[in-house]
Amino acid sequence: MSADIYAPYLMRLEEIVDEAPGIRTLKLAFEDEAAGENFSFRAGQFGLYSVFGEGECTFCIASSPTRKGYIECSFQQVGRVTRALRSLEVGDTLGFRGPYGNWFPLEQMRGKNIIFIGMGIGLAPVRCVIWNCLDLRADFRDITIVVGSRNVELLVYKREIRQWEEAADITLVKTVDPGGDTPDWDGKVGFVPTVVEQIAPSPDNAIAIVCGPPIGIKFTLVSLEKLGFSPDNVYMTLENKMKCGLGKCGRCNVGNVYVCKDGPVFTAAELKSLPQEF
Amino acid sequence: MAEFKLNEGRLQELITKLRDAGYRVVAPVEEEGAFVFKEVTEPGQARLDVLRTARSIKEWFFPRVEPTLRYEFDGSAVRCESGLPESPQKTVIIGCRPCDAASLPMLDTLFDWDYRDEYWFRRREATTVISVACDVPDSYCFCTSVGGSPEGTAGADLLMRRTADGGYLLEPLTEKGRAIIEAGEGVLELASGTEEVLVGEVPQRFALDKVKPWLDQNFEHDYWKEISYKCLSCGICAFVCPTCHCFDIQDEADLERGVRIKSWDSCCFPIFTRHGSGHNPRPTRDTRYRQRVMHKFRYYVDKFGVTACVGCGRCSSSCPIDMNICSVVAGVAELAESSK
Repeated sequence: MSADIYAPYLMRLEEIVDEAPGIRTLKLAFEDEAAGENFSFRAGQFGLYSVFGEGECTFCIASSPTRKGYIECSFQQVGRVTRALRSLEVGDTLGFRGPYGNWFPLEQMRGKNIIFIGMGIGLAPVRCVIWNCLDLRADFRDITIVVGSRNVELLVYKREIRQWEEAADITLVKTVDPGGDTPDWDGKVGFVPTVVEQIAPSPDNAIAIVCGPPIGIKFTLVSLEKLGFSPDNVYMTLENKMKCGLGKCGRCNVGNVYVCKDGPVFTAAELKSLPQEF
Repeated sequence: MAEFKLNEGRLQELITKLRDAGYRVVAPVEEEGAFVFKEVTEPGQARLDVLRTARSIKEWFFPRVEPTLRYEFDGSAVRCESGLPESPQKTVIIGCRPCDAASLPMLDTLFDWDYRDEYWFRRREATTVISVACDVPDSYCFCTSVGGSPEGTAGADLLMRRTADGGYLLEPLTEKGRAIIEAGEGVLELASGTEEVLVGEVPQRFALDKVKPWLDQNFEHDYWKEISYKCLSCGICAFVCPTCHCFDIQDEADLERGVRIKSWDSCCFPIFTRHGSGHNPRPTRDTRYRQRVMHKFRYYVDKFGVTACVGCGRCSSSCPIDMNICSVVAGVAELAESSK
């Protein structure tokens, strides 16, 4: 490793997938093959992706650590760097620093029923663990995936949702907010927390992984608690604004916890003990 | 350890000796009516009688703006070069106050927290710090309330104390400090032990041990609104603070080349924590000012075991609307006392 903790890896853009309006997935390969071979990460970790001349921004690694040789990120265009990321073409060079932060407890999840809940672009960090678990399918018991979106068009990873739907050993539930459906929509209509209560996964020997916008997380936690899930068995990721990812730049903290180092993965119990400032 | 004497009127000779020994000498120098730490180009520029420079010595280790990456575009390829200085220039900072020096070991913990920031440490290693004890502190000073002293030695390689005859007594504290004594041979003499040293007094303005327990319990409290009502969110407190270390990372480029820069930032700014979505975890002045106080007096203590304030008083003396962190924290100590 370089002595310079701010130095990025150079990455080559290999593939672009348009997921939804304004949302794109980029597949990145290491320009230095040796660096790529030495690179490893765990599901839930994040990095800083950069467009030279525009800046860095923070996303989780959306691909699974079981898939070697590349990483993927999914992002929604909202500002300067994401606009620049969106204008990149296959073959272009970009930067990546990472992996940073903690990860989902795959070891504790073994032998358990796993409920994945992803809302909107929040499905990206969940997708990373989903593929991680699916690539090691025999290690886990029942797998339930709940995906939600404001409307049908904004649903991300449509191709993969189809794959999960067709898989015999996965229960896939997809829903859009009321009013977000189309005539040919074959999923549910309703907010994710309501849908979670309807399908009522058992809390026994189960772990839930939740990610989405703050308001969605808040109400989904209430639903999971009603179903009997202990806050210790519900995991989520926080996505605060970050600049360094290294516990130094001072902006991602929630109370005395640095999301970039102590997180981004927290249990619901941990989040409850923090000042409600996220 | 043996002490040495610098007689009145011989400071310029010492500075010349240090420059001859290969040091870049940095000292309080007047710049447009204010005093800041600058490289001394004429020995007469150095002013060791300045109590409070406009900014702290922080910028000599952690510059206001510094490139972490330089790059050139070549078609779709990019050539990068790290901004990390290979071997920073050997430097001596002379004339900082013990509070500024104390901020350095405090920030060492942050910059070495798992990820070691060599930008900071290479400059730390290349730099010798000579602090000057305060003979005339003022009403903004509160070092003694946060564990410091007008003649504190934390972070300093050598401590100078004013003597009644107009000279200075020099006490080397580290190897680097002893190297300064060696470089000053011929100008410095062995102290007699009879010199009368002038050190001022800074009254204790609050009981620090009362502060953190109250902060631990009172994230939600009307006090935060009361004290931050007049804050302008201008950020000057963070820029002049020796321990504020929050920074931003931005790119600046043209069509051929660019730089990625790390620059000082402040938790007072509304955009500091604002997400791309527009959501802001700290959307109001009171939530931001609370963060400032909490970070220094609670979170930093939890993380690193020290309070991230050295009591230099710069944030208060620079504040355009006279907010005073010393009074704010003294208010916390009072609340703690009255809520017993």
